[in-house]
Amino acid sequence: MMRTPTLFRLAARGVLREARRSLLTASAMALGLALLMFTRSLADGGHEDWINVGVRMGSGHVLFQAPGYRESRSLDDRLSGKQVGAVLATLGALEGPLAPLATTIRLSTNGLASSASSALPVVIAGVNPETEASFSHAAERIIRGRYLERDDRLAAYVGTGLVERLGLSLGSRFVLTAQSTDGEIQGQLVRVVGVFRTGLPEVDEGVVHIPISTARSWLGAAEAATTVGAILPASGVVSEVVEVVRSDVGADDIRVLSWREAYPELDTALRIDDYGDYVFLGILFVIVALAVLNTVLMAVLHRKREFGVLQALGLTPAETGLVVFAEGLLLTALAGVVGMIAGATLTWVFFRNGLDFSAFMTEKMTFGGIVIDPVIVPEFRMVQVLQSFFSIAVVGIIASIYPAYHATRIDVGEALKFE
Amino acid sequence: MRTENPNEEGFDDPTSPATGLAAVADVAVRTKDVWKIYAQESEDVEAVRGVSLEVREGDFMTMAGPSGSGKTTLLNMLGGLTRPTSGRIWVGDLEITTLSNKELARLRLESIGFVFQAFNLLPVLSALENAEFSLLLRGVPTEERHRRVRALFDEIGLEGLEDRRPGKLSGGQQQRVAVARAVVGEPTLVLADEPTANLDSHTSDALLDVMERLNQEHGTTFLFSTHDPRVMERARRRVSLVDGQIESDER
Repeated sequence: MMRTPTLFRLAARGVLREARRSLLTASAMALGLALLMFTRSLADGGHEDWINVGVRMGSGHVLFQAPGYRESRSLDDRLSGKQVGAVLATLGALEGPLAPLATTIRLSTNGLASSASSALPVVIAGVNPETEASFSHAAERIIRGRYLERDDRLAAYVGTGLVERLGLSLGSRFVLTAQSTDGEIQGQLVRVVGVFRTGLPEVDEGVVHIPISTARSWLGAAEAATTVGAILPASGVVSEVVEVVRSDVGADDIRVLSWREAYPELDTALRIDDYGDYVFLGILFVIVALAVLNTVLMAVLHRKREFGVLQALGLTPAETGLVVFAEGLLLTALAGVVGMIAGATLTWVFFRNGLDFSAFMTEKMTFGGIVIDPVIVPEFRMVQVLQSFFSIAVVGIIASIYPAYHATRIDVGEALKFE
Repeated sequence: MRTENPNEEGFDDPTSPATGLAAVADVAVRTKDVWKIYAQESEDVEAVRGVSLEVREGDFMTMAGPSGSGKTTLLNMLGGLTRPTSGRIWVGDLEITTLSNKELARLRLESIGFVFQAFNLLPVLSALENAEFSLLLRGVPTEERHRRVRALFDEIGLEGLEDRRPGKLSGGQQQRVAVARAVVGEPTLVLADEPTANLDSHTSDALLDVMERLNQEHGTTFLFSTHDPRVMERARRRVSLVDGQIESDER
């Protein structure tokens, strides 16, 4: 071990001696790391955006429902006013990075929307106009009229698809029909105050927002809700929040769902996208590994006599291997530092405001039940930077093992032959 | 790692005194019936065939012979760089044929110096760093290393060239650095494989002067593999190898 500094010094000189080759290899690795950081930041940013869009179009990162509601979609499976209060109290108690950005209370049921010309099955969502505006950012999708307001009573906020299919326009009246809590079929006349477009046909044709107060009195569900949802600061804290709130309210016949459980199609879409990323990263790792392997192995083959001399002078085969291994380590470290700087520069300096893909999207693109934003903002996280560096370091280390082993196996007598 | 005294085994050694531990203490290297056979696809090649040899401490000796006579192979086996197919080798009174690779490396570091035909200096190190390398590996402090190397450089005419890399030195200068590297650790034995083969006659003579002086003044044992007449002229003992066997041994 006492000789280790000497061996590393030899390795450093070896790396510097073959400056051009070392530089090319280090550049390949650094570029690999920079690309890895950038693509992962972009993927993370894109995924976070998808999740954000998905949970806002849905019912949040974390949902509270009565057991059975998810399967029945019936008002029979609803949260009582007391349960809603308990859930809101639990959410209100969350602090710091776990504290929700917005919460919503919804009374939703399946029903029928009918006009003079046609009828369509819809999901009728009774919402609190004030909290819903900040929760779902619904107002951002308005194309005509306005979103619901606090004093609205018989107002409806509908999608463009429904407007077209029912022959409606702003101010038109139509009838919502659904089964109330006492089992009777009840109708409710409402008027179109706003029209939205999400780009998702099933939403634009099949969702109607009305004030929750109207829904409760119409359907006989005073104080009740079918879903309480919360938007959290980031998807990364969801599991922690779920764990906390489950221990708080889980025993009170309240089911707590994370967005992954609530929107399995979005979860699947993200996993599929992740899988594609992993394949790409795997290819990238192989390329980087081959670059290191090639350089270090070529160095061993070209410098066979030099390593023979080292052993003749008293280095053990293992120490000779260590010199070669150290060269691989130094190249990896050099490439790691340069790659991290390049990756950070690429991600942070050039694309911190996002990468605009709108030129490649002629119309709204949907995937996994959400509309994809054409501008993807990379998400730059230190843990991801360290993971990327660690990944490249592991690749560099693994790729250096074989050349090092090769160096330990050289026949000194043969290596020293004059050529 | 110490073994029984090789002479106590009573093998037939034409160069050794008939008896005597005192004589054994003066032995730098000794071989007994050493063979080296290289397995080839068509047929095995017997590079060294049953060589028994003893080299005394302080010898200045050559092994001569045509190409393919087994000089370099024998030299490499004496230096623990190549293992014999059969037979035994001792450096001092240490049998090296049973040593592990790690033990051989330690032996080379502490007891054997090498001078190669192609100089074989480490290109990434300066002249001084090359010469001090074995001392560095032995853990000798920097000041002591530099003092010893500089003294040697002054002695062999390399003063002022300490910081030059091998690529900036002439062939003769490189070989002198190699000699300095070989002797600076005061080894039992210096094995020199055709050290003058790549040098002109003037440089060869100068280098031989250096080695002869080191031999005479420091008692360093030199064993040359060569067919350079200038080297053979200076040797006090000349062994001739033909087809892997000792053909003659003249003093």
